Amino acid sequence: MNCDEARRMIMGYLDDELSKEERESLEDHLRDCDGCRKEHEGFSNLKEGLAMIKFKEPTDAELERYWRGIYNRLERGLAWILFSVGAIIVLCYGAFELLEEMIKDPSIALVLKIGVGALVLGGVVLFVSILRERMAVRAKDKYSKEVER
Amino acid sequence: MGGMDDREEVQIRSSRAGDAEAFGGLVRKYAGRATGVAFLLLGNRADAVDASQEAFLRAWRGLPRFRGESAFFPWYSAILRNVCREHLRRNHREAGSERLDDLPGPISRDDPALLAERNERTERLWAALLRLPGRHREIIVMSHFQELRYRDIADLLGIPIGTVMSRLHQARKALREELAGEKR
Repeated sequence: MNCDEARRMIMGYLDDELSKEERESLEDHLRDCDGCRKEHEGFSNLKEGLAMIKFKEPTDAELERYWRGIYNRLERGLAWILFSVGAIIVLCYGAFELLEEMIKDPSIALVLKIGVGALVLGGVVLFVSILRERMAVRAKDKYSKEVER
Repeated sequence: MGGMDDREEVQIRSSRAGDAEAFGGLVRKYAGRATGVAFLLLGNRADAVDASQEAFLRAWRGLPRFRGESAFFPWYSAILRNVCREHLRRNHREAGSERLDDLPGPISRDDPALLAERNERTERLWAALLRLPGRHREIIVMSHFQELRYRDIADLLGIPIGTVMSRLHQARKALREELAGEKR
């Protein structure tokens, strides 16, 4: 093992990420190399220091506010889903009824019927297209995926 | 479940079954750390609170996918990192920046209320950490404060494990240099 390799491996050694063989090989090198031993000590001190940095526990009142903030979002999220589903059902039903009425009504000009039909069809295509794009972006985007573990 | 105490395991099982109060227990346990980690990634307390709350919300929704192979916090903090990244990308986009993925550079505004204990050693280290460029700070945060294993860091950053070691080496070296520079 050369010093470059050893210095990189010191990270894995400190973080307990090396295999038994790698550890032993690095320990052999550290025994023989003053420079790498000093390097190890320096990084080991740094890790100890970082372990001393602890974040403050919020007070009960702060925690309550923090949790309320999450709970409210959770509740609102559910409400939005219900609202959206309801709105889509009502709008689709209304549009269907309206179209049916219009098609059956002989007093409405054909050009208007075609216009409204195109409007509704365009709206549906747009909705499906945006939805598909969103889903494709979500599938490719490494930051939007939740972590499985 | 790996690395979890019994109470946490029960809280996770109840949360999975839809018990919001049990999940509230997990939130209360980790809120301080989550906000601290988000602060180190975003450099702003208000954004940190917002991002950590959003990450808890996603964790709640994602609990059925949590297999318990790691403790709750490393799993949660991987979600938190993604939320922080999205947050940064949104801000960059709004600011018209082309470099959407960049972490903020050195953090200029400290938040004294974040640390549990301030003594000379932690003060100096904390200040040096805040002065680090975003890419160095991020990997130190992942390893030290988010308790992520190299495998998880490699997956999140999309780099090999050997590169994780090299980047940690560079980042810790930069942190030591910051500390040494301060002494001079």
